[in-house]
Parts: sequence; structure tokens; C-alpha cells
Amino acid sequence: MTVRRVAVTGLGVLSPVGNDPKTFFANLMAGKSGIKRMETDFVDSLDFKIAAYINDYEPLDHFVKNKAATMDRVTQFAVSASQQAINDAGLNLETEDLERFGVYLGTGMGGAASIEEGYVRLYKEQARRLKPFTVLMAMNNAASAQVALDFGITGPDLTFCTACSSSSVAIGEAVRQIRHGYTDVMLAGGSEALLTFGTIKAWEALRTLADEDEVNPSASCKPFSGNRSGLVLGEGAGMVILEDMDRAIARGAKIYAEVIGYGSSNDSTHITQPSVEGQSRAMRKALAEANISADQLDYINAHGTGTKLNDITETNAIKQVCGNKIPVSSTKSMHGHLMGAAGAVEFVACMMAIQEQALPPTAHLVVPDPECDLDYVPNIGRKNVKVETIMSNSFAFGGTSGVLIAKKVG
Amino acid sequence: MDTFETLREIIATKFDKPLDEITPDATFESLEIDSLDTFDIIFDAEEKFGIKVPNDEVDIKTVSDVVALLDRLRAAQGK
Repeated sequence: MTVRRVAVTGLGVLSPVGNDPKTFFANLMAGKSGIKRMETDFVDSLDFKIAAYINDYEPLDHFVKNKAATMDRVTQFAVSASQQAINDAGLNLETEDLERFGVYLGTGMGGAASIEEGYVRLYKEQARRLKPFTVLMAMNNAASAQVALDFGITGPDLTFCTACSSSSVAIGEAVRQIRHGYTDVMLAGGSEALLTFGTIKAWEALRTLADEDEVNPSASCKPFSGNRSGLVLGEGAGMVILEDMDRAIARGAKIYAEVIGYGSSNDSTHITQPSVEGQSRAMRKALAEANISADQLDYINAHGTGTKLNDITETNAIKQVCGNKIPVSSTKSMHGHLMGAAGAVEFVACMMAIQEQALPPTAHLVVPDPECDLDYVPNIGRKNVKVETIMSNSFAFGGTSGVLIAKKVG
Repeated sequence: MDTFETLREIIATKFDKPLDEITPDATFESLEIDSLDTFDIIFDAEEKFGIKVPNDEVDIKTVSDVVALLDRLRAAQGK
């Protein structure tokens, strides 16, 4: 089978720092954080009261009322981000061969709000019946299914569920579908909408959430900083159009980059604790597939959650595989941890970094940690720098890593 | 409580439909209401009338099909 090259030709993003790629990246470059004090009705019952929400998103601007009512928030995000990516790529679905078009989507918790709403009705309100759409809104594959349905896509449609690496894995696997000739175009990425009372309480119990910054709540997530205290939960979606390179060139598409490497592996050490060996294994596999040496990388978008353990482990893994010269940043410091959508949203940041020739910073990095000693692009983004080859890291509870490498074309 | 009028109100509120579109002969398809949503409507009506709708399969195409079903259950259950 011929191995084909894969281009990224369209981007879509809904994030706590912007609902289109341009705004999203401009805010990252400006060091603007989307993390804030929650305003929900259950905030008083939470010990950790900060999160990163999507702002200015009105479902009824995108869907008619009865349709919106049958779609979980995670699905609404996925469809909206997909629409953006399709528009950005300039695809005309009426002339596409939709059997050669697939959807690969990652999500950690699927329709979390719909499950919770059902339980509230059942246990709290003692309802005798649940909404007929409950199963269809809550199931993990609801989002990818709805994307296929809404755009008439009849190629492969799969959901990837590997916690925080879900959408990096979805993109990497989608690349392989095109590379090996099964499809010509893929919508790939992820979506997450888990800021429900029950989900947040479950995360609280894990003791991995960041303490609220007493002076500035938006600065609560401090990856690689000596005073970091954990991650901040967020919601959103990132979807990209991947396309056979020859086809993209032939139709004169705007090409953000070529995906040249993908590495996935499992730490196989502990259900939550990351391992240097596991993380470096995935990076090595991605570099081997890309057939480049680590010193050819211009930027690494770190998993960089802001937990004590991840940031040290990832620093050591990067040092082991890539040395200590390549700029690394964690944009989670601003958009929070988007879980199943994190990898895709960060991949979008990398595509914009290549387009704008600029590196987004790691915000709120003010206290040096002797164990975190890489160039983290602290606090101030870098403009007018050479960004040709990027690596985007995603690691996860459960141990599944997804590392993507992409390179500017031409 | 008039079955048709109550049903009409449930449908209008839930799906943002003008009342005059919801005639007895209107099919749910013409109202762009999914077959699963018709169950949602029936469950709302169940609560409103205090009746119990059995979990059997029912063949429903029009608004009057639902009215007939509800009327039958209301009569049988004395509600």
C-alpha cells in the first residue's frame, strides 16, 4: 500500500480563551487566562471553585431549539468546532466523496451532563421516567456520531476514550487512515464538557486540582512553577481537517502543516502516576515515525498539567529524548485542562504557532523549580521566531500517551 | 382538562411551535418532531394527567393519534 502524506487544512476550536483559532491564539500570545471563579449554583458546595468555561457560546445560535435539546453540551461543542474546521478548509460537502471521509473524535467523559441530569431526576427529584434521549445524549460516541450525521459523513466514525490523551490519539489514528489509503479526508479532534457538580466532586477527591490563587484566580494553574498546586478543569473542543497532501495541493488548499509523526504507548506503571520511561517512549516513537532527530524540533507543546508530579516527569522525559534547548510551553496555564479535548486544542495552538511564527508562553511561571529546568517560554510569548516543526505531548490517567509531530510545508 | 388543548400546549412550549400549526391532523414528521421526541411529549402528558402510560410499542403518526391514546388511558384509569 502506498504511504501518503497528510496535510492539516482546516482548524476549529472552542476554548475558554476564544472560540475561533485566531482569537484563541492571540489570547494565548497575550498571556490571557480563561480560568476564573465559577458562577454555577453549586459553587458553594465545592472545595475548588475555579474552572475554565467556554464563554459566549449560545447553543441556539447554532442549533434549532428541539435539536439543541437532544444534544449534550459535549456534542454541541464537537459539531460547532467541526463546522468551523470544514469552513476553514473550504470544503464543499456537496461535492465531497463522503464515503472517503471519516470522523475520529476523542472525549474523556462523553455526555457527562446528561448522565448527571438523569441521576438528579431519578434520585433527587424521584422522577419515574427519564428523557427518551438520555441514553443517546450520554453515550460516549454521541459526539462523533452527531458530527457524522450532521455533515452526512459515511466513512469510518470512531470515538477514542483514553482520558487526557483522547484527542491526540484520535488525530494520530486519523492520520494513519489517510496515510494508508483508507480515507482521503478526516475530521479529527476532541470535545469535552464535564464541568458538572458530580464530575468536579470526583476530581476534587483525586486531590489533583489546583488551589485558587488568592490574589488572582485566573493565575491558579501554574505549570512548571515552584508554587504550582495542580490542574484546573476546563471544557471545549478542537477539530481539524486532515487531508491527503496531494489532494490538498491539487485543490489549492491552505496547508497549515504536514503531520509527520505520531507515537502512542502505555506507561503501564500506575493508573495515575506518569513515568519518564512511558512518556519518553511515546516521544521517541513519534520522532522515529517522523524520521527526524529531536534537535530539529522548534517547539514542544507540553502536556504540562500543573501537577507536581506530571511537570517533573515530563521535564525529565523531554530532557532524556530532546535535551534542554528546545522551547517548551504549557498553554494549559491559560485554557485549563480540557481533558479529552486537550490534545486537539493544543494541536490547534501548534498549527497557529507555525502559521504566526510565534510561541505561546507558559503563563504564571514565577517561582523557579530546580527540578523543572527547561526553557518554558515563561510568561511572555515569543514573536518572529522560526517555528517549522512542532511536537505536541498528551499523557493521561490510564497511561496512554499520544504524541504528535507536524512540520511546516514549503 | 381538554386532552388536545393540553397536548397542544406541551408541544408548543417544548418545540417552539405556533399553536395554529399543531392541528389534530398534523403529523409529527411535518412538525419536524423526531419519533423519540413524541415519547417525551407523551411522558410530559403522563405527568400532567396523572396517568400511567404502558411501555408497549405504539404506532403514532399524528397529533390525534396521541390524543386518542391519552383519552383511552384517561378513561381506563379514571383520570
